[in-house]
Amino acid sequence: MCGIAGYLDRTGEAPYPLGEVVLSMLQALGCRGPDSAGVALQAAPRPDVWTLRVKLGETTDEGRGDQVRAVALRHRGAEYSTRSAYARFTVPSSEDLAALTAELEAIAPQIEVLSAGHSLEIAKQVGSPANLDAAFGVRAFRGSHGIGHTRLSTESRVDLSHSQPFWAHGCPDLAIVHNGHITNYHQLRRRYQQRGVRFYTENDSEVIAVYLGERLRRGDSLAAALHGMLEDLDGSFSCLATTSRALGFVKDPYAFKPLVYAETERFVAVATEEVAIRSALPGDYAVVEASVRDVRVWTV
Amino acid sequence: MTIDCRGKQIREINRGIRAGLASGEVEVLNPDARHNLAVALLQPGAVRIRGSVGYYCGGLMDGATVHIEGSAGWGLAESMLSGMVTVRRNAGNGAAAAIRGGTVVIHGNAASRLGVSMKGGLIVVGGNCDYMAGFMGQKGVMIICGDAGEAFADSMYSTVCYVGGRIADLGNDAVIEPMSDDDVALVESSLRTHLGEAVRATKPAAHAFRKVVAGKKLWNFSHRDWKTWQEAL
Repeated sequence: MCGIAGYLDRTGEAPYPLGEVVLSMLQALGCRGPDSAGVALQAAPRPDVWTLRVKLGETTDEGRGDQVRAVALRHRGAEYSTRSAYARFTVPSSEDLAALTAELEAIAPQIEVLSAGHSLEIAKQVGSPANLDAAFGVRAFRGSHGIGHTRLSTESRVDLSHSQPFWAHGCPDLAIVHNGHITNYHQLRRRYQQRGVRFYTENDSEVIAVYLGERLRRGDSLAAALHGMLEDLDGSFSCLATTSRALGFVKDPYAFKPLVYAETERFVAVATEEVAIRSALPGDYAVVEASVRDVRVWTV
Repeated sequence: MTIDCRGKQIREINRGIRAGLASGEVEVLNPDARHNLAVALLQPGAVRIRGSVGYYCGGLMDGATVHIEGSAGWGLAESMLSGMVTVRRNAGNGAAAAIRGGTVVIHGNAASRLGVSMKGGLIVVGGNCDYMAGFMGQKGVMIICGDAGEAFADSMYSTVCYVGGRIADLGNDAVIEPMSDDDVALVESSLRTHLGEAVRATKPAAHAFRKVVAGKKLWNFSHRDWKTWQEAL
């Protein structure tokens, strides 16, 4: 069990604020995953800057805030703030994101860039969706689309880094959430590691972010990359992915894991259970369970 | 009697429904797709749910009638003994799984694993059914007006299926059998009764349905069928 949710506002007017919708959906799914909660939200893109969110410690900055800030300033960082165990800041988009990430993560092994891009913001931590909101003010977040996750850990440890969503390290604005098990995870992980890819966790879902990141960097569309998962990944998966412009999902060939969606003129909502969609979005609309090998992508 | 689900625990709602059945029809408001609504109803009477339900609605039921005006989540009417469950829109994975009797009517589409291991009863779907419907069905009848998904009617015993649309792919040991006059009559009367005359007119003619049953090759092990067994297992 885990709960996943996604929302995309089609009106451009955000009648239901993004943070509030995704948080309400996660709260309805809370009983599916009490271990941790997280969101990956897409704000209005800012092509001139990279926005970075950096994990400093597990629940507090553990005294590393100053070092991270110093690195940020060296890269012409601005808007620096800290919240809970996070630092958040922007740098001009002329900065080399890979080099900056490497420099930040060299400060201490605990430090990890959790999200980076022109629009993506990831907030996640151990605990309930309500605690996530208390720590990060998720409810007040404005944007066009996003995804969320409540986790019931079945295969790896419960801490901040192992929580979802996962940013596809090195691929700006791409993030995923996953409910299921990737059974050829170890094989894929070994293959990627031989090519020098760094894995930050032992969570099998991380390999999805790595896989999609690589496909997108190669020039594939999100839809093509999600289709590729049906060929290259084994096991059970209902998986949601988001880029700065798109929201998409893929469901495995055996329909092991639940996933339903509702599509109206005003919005697209996807969730593990219908209860999440109904509790967040009023109105008379149909909810459909995704089919086997279903891949759908919506753009803003 | 009317029950508003908002602000109530699921047990409180179900106790209310059971108490209300004694006096006739119960109307349930604001179900908000919550789980375990109207389960284990063991007496006649009608429940009308004004909205969508979550998992296991109408499960373990004996004798009542439940009308759902929205969609249903996983495990609709699971293990029902007798009675009737109708869904205005779509049903999730495992609808009517392991029912022993009664009738399940889904006016929209059914997701994966419809009627798996059913041991009796009747399922009528106005739309399509997805992956692996009818798997290991032991008895009973399943009528799909639209298309059937992959691995349809896999490894069945004696469930009889009728499909009005396309079948993506027949499961192991599933075979198509000619429609007899009795089959045509059964499909026609079931659709008229459960979809209503007007809706029935929009569905394929009864003689155009295809009948799918077990080829009985998996009923008893035989070395001659080794290839089939390898595939099935």
